[in-house]
Amino acid sequence: MAKPKAFVKKEKCLACGGCISVCPQDAILMISSKAVVDHDQCNSCSICVKTCPIGAISWEGK
Amino acid sequence: MKYDAVIVGSGPAGSVTARFAAEAGAKVLIVERRAEVGVPVLCGEGISQKVDDFKVLEGKRWIATKMEGARIFSPNGTKITLSAEYAGSETGYVIYRDIFDQELARGAAQKGAEIMLNTRAVNLLKKDGKITGLTVQHFDETLDIEADVVVGADGVESRVGKWAGIQTTLKPYDLETCVQYTLTNIDWDSPYCDFFLGKHVAPGGYVWVFPKGKDVANVGIGILASLSVSGKAKQLLDKFIAARPELKKGAPLRVITGADPVAEPIQSVTDNLLLVGDAARQVDPITGGGLMSSIEAGQYAGQTIGRAVEKQRFDSQTLLEYETLWKKAFGKKLHRNYVAKEIMLDMEDKTLDNLADSLKDYKFEEFSTLSIIKALVTKHPSLLVKLTPLMKLARA
Ligand SMILES: Cc1cc2nc3c(=O)[nH]c(=O)nc-3n(C[C@H](O)[C@H](O)[C@H](O)COP(=O)(O)OP(=O)(O)OC[C@H]3O[C@@H](n4cnc5c(N)ncnc54)[C@H](O)[C@@H]3O)c2cc1C
Ligand code: SF4
Ligand code: SF4
Repeated sequence: MAKPKAFVKKEKCLACGGCISVCPQDAILMISSKAVVDHDQCNSCSICVKTCPIGAISWEGK
Repeated sequence: MKYDAVIVGSGPAGSVTARFAAEAGAKVLIVERRAEVGVPVLCGEGISQKVDDFKVLEGKRWIATKMEGARIFSPNGTKITLSAEYAGSETGYVIYRDIFDQELARGAAQKGAEIMLNTRAVNLLKKDGKITGLTVQHFDETLDIEADVVVGADGVESRVGKWAGIQTTLKPYDLETCVQYTLTNIDWDSPYCDFFLGKHVAPGGYVWVFPKGKDVANVGIGILASLSVSGKAKQLLDKFIAARPELKKGAPLRVITGADPVAEPIQSVTDNLLLVGDAARQVDPITGGGLMSSIEAGQYAGQTIGRAVEKQRFDSQTLLEYETLWKKAFGKKLHRNYVAKEIMLDMEDKTLDNLADSLKDYKFEEFSTLSIIKALVTKHPSLLVKLTPLMKLARA
């Protein structure tokens, strides 16, 4: 099975851009003041998940 | 639409660049994706009084409080006080960052810079590989804006540099991930900005309390992303507040998350393009403070653009003047503090306590890195080996 991809919970994200600045795949964009992950780019490295200071990023389907 | 310079971002770096470029005669446009300059505030709002020297702010509306100094608390609570007397002009203000950013933008507009809000830069315009401007999304319209110089003042998550082929991705080791509450109804009537250190308080960073008036303060935390797990910064900050009755009774007026680069600065110039402020990682790696360097670099960037427009030359060689100027002004300090950051990260809590203990009664003749190192080495000769690289840099 393919690895799960990072997923930003919109209700939690406060738009600091931290996840974007560390994503090695450039897979995250800020759209209308919310971080959004592009599944196709994400390689599931988990850096953004660990970085988010309020835990707004988890894994898709979880 | 054709401009001499189009600037992405209306933070301090963008507005000050625009101000000095416009003042030098350049036709300048700032594009900002937000609907209001300076809002939301993503900042601890502490700044050195040296900001007055730059004469880019009018009046005093942007100042919340004038501070008497700073206090640093080591893991076991040992306090080092850097009073105004010793900290000199490094003591500072706590500001209203929204008003501060708007005043800087107003200064730029007064010099003739144009500002477009609700306008997100989406890519560079290029012709035969040469940068010729910017593509933006303005509300629901896509527009091409031609310009001789594009300035990336787009903050920590900067895209502009990437579009020009400059590697801007931060290593988790070089990012502080932050949460901050602005608390009211607290008992924290102090004329000091406070910093709390320790592996259990804030791994690889610190907790800060910056008073914004009698019963209001910014209480925030930054931890190194490489030492973070999901949501850890908020958990640690909540724990810090819960353990202090004088803060615990407070109510939040604002909550923010933040990202602060604590990296070595990167390449800031290429043909037809400059990076300024957080986008160029011009942030003090020890304190995470980036307001002063954004303003100083903005001044050099604007002046350089002015001269480039006069000469009608926008190649990297012409624009390199900007990089030379900011490196000369504070490049050494940033590098030295990056080395200091690495040394501090290696230190156990106990070492930090020992250091604090030997500095707590020290009367600094002058508040400089070299004088602190000298004080430390006198008391702890064993530290000499660790601190030697810093000593060399401090002398340089
Ligand atoms: C929690 C926290 C606390 C801090 N506390 C302090 C402190 O107390 N003192 C201090 O000196 N420094 C502090 N800093 C650092 C300081 O906030 C930054 O160094 C400073 O804001 C950098 O200014 P800037 O103009 O480079 O970027 P910013 O102020 O981040 O401005 C960038 C602007 O670009 C805009 N933008 C981004 N992308 C686009 C796009 N594609 N299109 C259009 N617009 C775009 C953004 O909306 C934003 O307005 C703190 C940082 C954080 C995160
Ligand atoms: S780090 Fe968290 S809060 Fe910050 S932009 Fe990313 S998801 Fe949002
Ligand atoms: S998991 Fe890694 S690759 Fe995927 S979005 Fe997060 S940081 Fe980027």
